[in-house]
Amino acid sequence: MADEELDCRAASRLLSLTHERPLTAAEREALRRHLDLCFMCRNFEAQLEVLHAAARRMASR
Amino acid sequence: MTPLAPAADPRFAEIESHRPYLVRYATAQLRDAALAEEVVQEALVAALEGIAGFGGRSSLRTWLTSILRFKVVDFQRRTIAERARQVQAPEGDESDEGWLDELFDETGHWREPPAAWGDPEAAFEQGRFWETFEGCLGGLSPLAQRVFFKREVLGEETDAICKDEDITSSNCWVILHRARLALRGCLEKRWFGKDASHGG
Repeated sequence: MADEELDCRAASRLLSLTHERPLTAAEREALRRHLDLCFMCRNFEAQLEVLHAAARRMASR
Repeated sequence: MTPLAPAADPRFAEIESHRPYLVRYATAQLRDAALAEEVVQEALVAALEGIAGFGGRSSLRTWLTSILRFKVVDFQRRTIAERARQVQAPEGDESDEGWLDELFDETGHWREPPAAWGDPEAAFEQGRFWETFEGCLGGLSPLAQRVFFKREVLGEETDAICKDEDITSSNCWVILHRARLALRGCLEKRWFGKDASHGG
């Protein structure tokens, strides 16, 4: 994984996975390299946070 | 399910407005939408009877949820033997990833790039945002709705959810990933995107 460049499909999977379990060092590094270059996946990352916040808010609104 | 008959207490309408959330909560636990509606109805009747005991220390939704939780547990106890005999219908192979091809092209790039959404707090203040969110959740498969609700709304651990649902962790992750991709697409189309016309 460390030597491979992620595409958006793989990066989005890792971004979602960060909400399930801690990423391995290799996963984190590959993801960081992709996010440095990809605003679309940075937007997706922020959107996951909005989903998470909305879901938590939903329980107590 | 029939809305509760309007009566003297002005909080009736407010209680009624929490019904969709409560049905979702009950469905996540009971895996049966019709049953969930029944249990919610029972809980709301109990809530109306006990509204005088609601002191406003928690939000109304939190209070209603705690009543519902008792009803759900009670129901599960009563029917535990029955449920053991029921065979769960499979909902299709969630590990099949063909669905990702609709979202990503053959080079692995987004077909429709996610946009910047701006400040979500402004959206959270609006009732119509929550109707939209509810509508988007309703577009997921029943299994995905339950898993997403338990994970993101109730904050349960992924492992516990998978065990409950009799699915592997990796399958669970795929279900959650798919649910998030679908929800973000739905919210972008209906609320946050530049073409969304929610009027807010």
